[in-house]
Amino acid sequence: MEYIFHLAILIALFSIFAVSLDLVAGYTGLISVCQAAFYGIGAYTTALLMQNMGLNFFLALLAGMLLTGLVALILGLVFSKFKGDYYVLGTVAFTYIAYSVFINWQSLTGGPLGIPGIPRPELFGFSFSSSFSFLLLAVAFLGAVYVGARFIVSSPFGRVLRAIREDEEAISVFGYRTSFYKLLIFIISTMIAALGGGLLASYLTYIDPGTFSITESIFVLAIVVLGGLGSLRGPVLGALILVLLPEALRFVGFSPDIAAQMRVLIYGLLLVIMMRYRPQGLVGEYKL
Amino acid sequence: MDVLIQIILNSVIAGSIYALAAMGFNLIYGVSRSFNLAHGVFASVAVYAVFFLAVQHAILLPIAIALGIFVAVFLGYVLERSIFRPLRAKRASNLVLLIASLGASIVVEALIAIFFSSQFQTLSSVVPSFGAVRIFGGVLTGVQVVMIVSAPLVLALFWLMLSHTRFGKAVRAVSDDEEVAKIVGINTNAIIGVVFMIGAGVMGVAGILTGFDTGLDPRMGFLLLLGAAIASIIGGTGNVYGAFLGAFILGFAENFGVFFVSGEWKYAIAFSVLILFLLFRPQGILGKK
Amino acid sequence: MNKTWLAIGAIVVLGLIVWGVSSMGGKSADTSTGPIKVGVIVPLTGDAAVYGEPGRNITQLAVDEINAAGGINGREMELIVEDGKCNGQDAASATQKLVNVDKVQVIIGAFCSGESLAAVPVAASGKVAMISPGSSSPKLTDVSPYFVRNYPSDATQGSVLANIAYTDKGYKKIAFIQEQTDYAAGVYTAFSNVFSGLGGTVTNEAFPTETSDFRSIISKVKGQNPDAVFIDTQTPAVTGRILAQMEQLGWKPKLFVSDILPGDTKTVEAHKAILEGTLAAEVGVDPSNPKFAALLVAYKAKYGVELPFQSYAQTEYDSVYLVRDAILAVGNDGTKVAAWLHTVKDWQGAAGSVTIGTNGDPVAGHRPEVIMAGKPVPYVK
Repeated sequence: MEYIFHLAILIALFSIFAVSLDLVAGYTGLISVCQAAFYGIGAYTTALLMQNMGLNFFLALLAGMLLTGLVALILGLVFSKFKGDYYVLGTVAFTYIAYSVFINWQSLTGGPLGIPGIPRPELFGFSFSSSFSFLLLAVAFLGAVYVGARFIVSSPFGRVLRAIREDEEAISVFGYRTSFYKLLIFIISTMIAALGGGLLASYLTYIDPGTFSITESIFVLAIVVLGGLGSLRGPVLGALILVLLPEALRFVGFSPDIAAQMRVLIYGLLLVIMMRYRPQGLVGEYKL
Repeated sequence: MDVLIQIILNSVIAGSIYALAAMGFNLIYGVSRSFNLAHGVFASVAVYAVFFLAVQHAILLPIAIALGIFVAVFLGYVLERSIFRPLRAKRASNLVLLIASLGASIVVEALIAIFFSSQFQTLSSVVPSFGAVRIFGGVLTGVQVVMIVSAPLVLALFWLMLSHTRFGKAVRAVSDDEEVAKIVGINTNAIIGVVFMIGAGVMGVAGILTGFDTGLDPRMGFLLLLGAAIASIIGGTGNVYGAFLGAFILGFAENFGVFFVSGEWKYAIAFSVLILFLLFRPQGILGKK
Repeated sequence: MNKTWLAIGAIVVLGLIVWGVSSMGGKSADTSTGPIKVGVIVPLTGDAAVYGEPGRNITQLAVDEINAAGGINGREMELIVEDGKCNGQDAASATQKLVNVDKVQVIIGAFCSGESLAAVPVAASGKVAMISPGSSSPKLTDVSPYFVRNYPSDATQGSVLANIAYTDKGYKKIAFIQEQTDYAAGVYTAFSNVFSGLGGTVTNEAFPTETSDFRSIISKVKGQNPDAVFIDTQTPAVTGRILAQMEQLGWKPKLFVSDILPGDTKTVEAHKAILEGTLAAEVGVDPSNPKFAALLVAYKAKYGVELPFQSYAQTEYDSVYLVRDAILAVGNDGTKVAAWLHTVKDWQGAAGSVTIGTNGDPVAGHRPEVIMAGKPVPYVK
């Protein structure tokens, strides 16, 4: 049972990452490969504030989101100049730079040693230390994120985003300052990712730079692409499938060394197949 | 002083390999107008083929090398036919091509790791030793001399091909405008297919040389690809000569970065250079606005 | 929209049922006649798989011996091996599975320090004992009442070598070339604390794990003109790459290497010229110890190759027997086994006499070695 809770928690957390990425990639059409870098900033901030200053998890999480939003503001000003595949390369570059900072700023992040012993969240004396209580917390956050995202995409603001995705020049003719909208949704998206990152750090109780590498960013992108860009159910469905698939491989009887590579192979293959035959994903609404 | 000369030599070696990787990458970008993120696997499959043939099955090295390059060319053909051509026919956006090629790259890398393990291997048991060359107190091995010679050689061949053959003319026409090229009767699919195979072959050479020089692991192709992509953007996307120039700028930036800053910031330096170019000169040094 | 939710819901329910059924499969509780299941976490993919593969073989060898001799009070021992991939996230996930699905009470591992650091909180919250035969990070000392190791902390490796470098050799300036990994960073920190405490200076050139071209790092270090160079990597393959490029550049400095290298006979043999006189501190092996000699013979007989990484091999082999003795003494219960392991004193195994302190670390440490003609031999001043 514990093991099922563990998988359910991972699904909830990766759903949060995927929904956050979908706001930028699916609804605004900016394919970004740097979600792991941002949930990394959220995770490190939350972990360090809890460990070094004894801050409560929820305050630390908030601080992590704010710091991530600040970084995203600066970065977004740079990224708003890029388009299409240049935007993708820019975000790849940022993922590598963030990874370098995580691993090399040893006095702060512990470098390759990572940060062990991150506490579980506590609220009014109740500790979310059991898997079940943490699952409830994670699902509650996922629900909040989902409702928030649904609100954003169905608001007038969300309609402008979709218009940018379809034809940025046309919408700017109508006097919309598209770079402002792009920047705002980018910041919102990274702050949601940071929320998931803080939860991830507290759940694993240990983080190291490998948790936030380019491979993880590509993994989150694969979730969204599989589930469907420009829909909110898509990322949740994608997370469900892609988190469970490799775990299933463990039980099918592949030797562990092969199973590990099979996981990577499968999500690579899914990217190719989806692009080739169903670029809108399983339930998506936006065709790249 | 010796240190400085050696660092310059190291930069030239790195630049040469990036140049081989970037020229093919950029030629392909020129005709297909999309970044082929699977370009790195051409290097990996070529060098692993050499490893499989020459080290594991003791086949004569020249034959192994020729077969290795052939495997890369063949994979170039397969990927173009099975992924890129159908997607072009569907008028897919270049983001679709980008993600599909990323997926293909992940698949091939994982397959290599499954068959050959993800561990680092060497070709040292079969590398011909030409001895070392000393230049102003710096040292170059024979393999490195081959690298440094082959980069400008390939550049010259590309120049000959592009400026002095009918095929080259067609390639340039497709690069300028695929639709117009089609209208004037050029078989654009055939041209793009051949360009893929040429690019893959050159990347295969880069992979094999890297394998001889520092060894091989499944990840090496992706790292070469990143170098190629950065070099292409610095030099100017779609421009083969720009790729050559960008590769050497990247080689020098990385190695002098190690010298002045520190080795652990190597990636951060390379990608910061990329972001600066994207920001201030997105068309690259030799690119057209 | 509702249809999709229905579909998602159906998949979730279906998944839960499949898992529920497969995990029930009749092997949930620790019945008193079935085999005693013991978890093993080693890296089976990535560069560190070079340790994980032999680690799995050696623990299996020890288990086969135990079962051939009648098992534990008539019950067989059964290993469940999981891949920790030498990183925290996967090790935590593997531990979750061992603790909650396989319901083991004892885990042998993890191997890499990064794995153990992440696995310990999971194991401790499930009241499962862990004994690591390979994790050497100083951060693991006294980390949890559920964790012990029979492999010493890198703090001793660093201080042994730093003392020799400064006092015996009179070196004042050491240049590190360090891979950016948990283990290598731990060795660097331990060495540099002691060495600078003695009055020497240490410089460090770190590099990311995927680096293949070390020429500029080597050239730069050469230009700094250090008394000796410490090559500090996570795996022997990477040290091999650096040595090959030093050879190419025609530079042969005085060298230190971390304890991952001397046991890798292939790499040491391939670079024996440049390694001549290189210092290392290994846990070391004692071929005159009959248990260790027997292990050498048994491994060769079963797997057809010489026993690799012998200093890890002996601790891996011993860890299985320590677990057997613990279960014999106090039963298959994580809490009791962990407590028993903390009291091990003068226990005789392949690694000689083993005593584990109350902080969970073994009392014996690293012994200095010098590489001569392609073979590590004990260092004498």
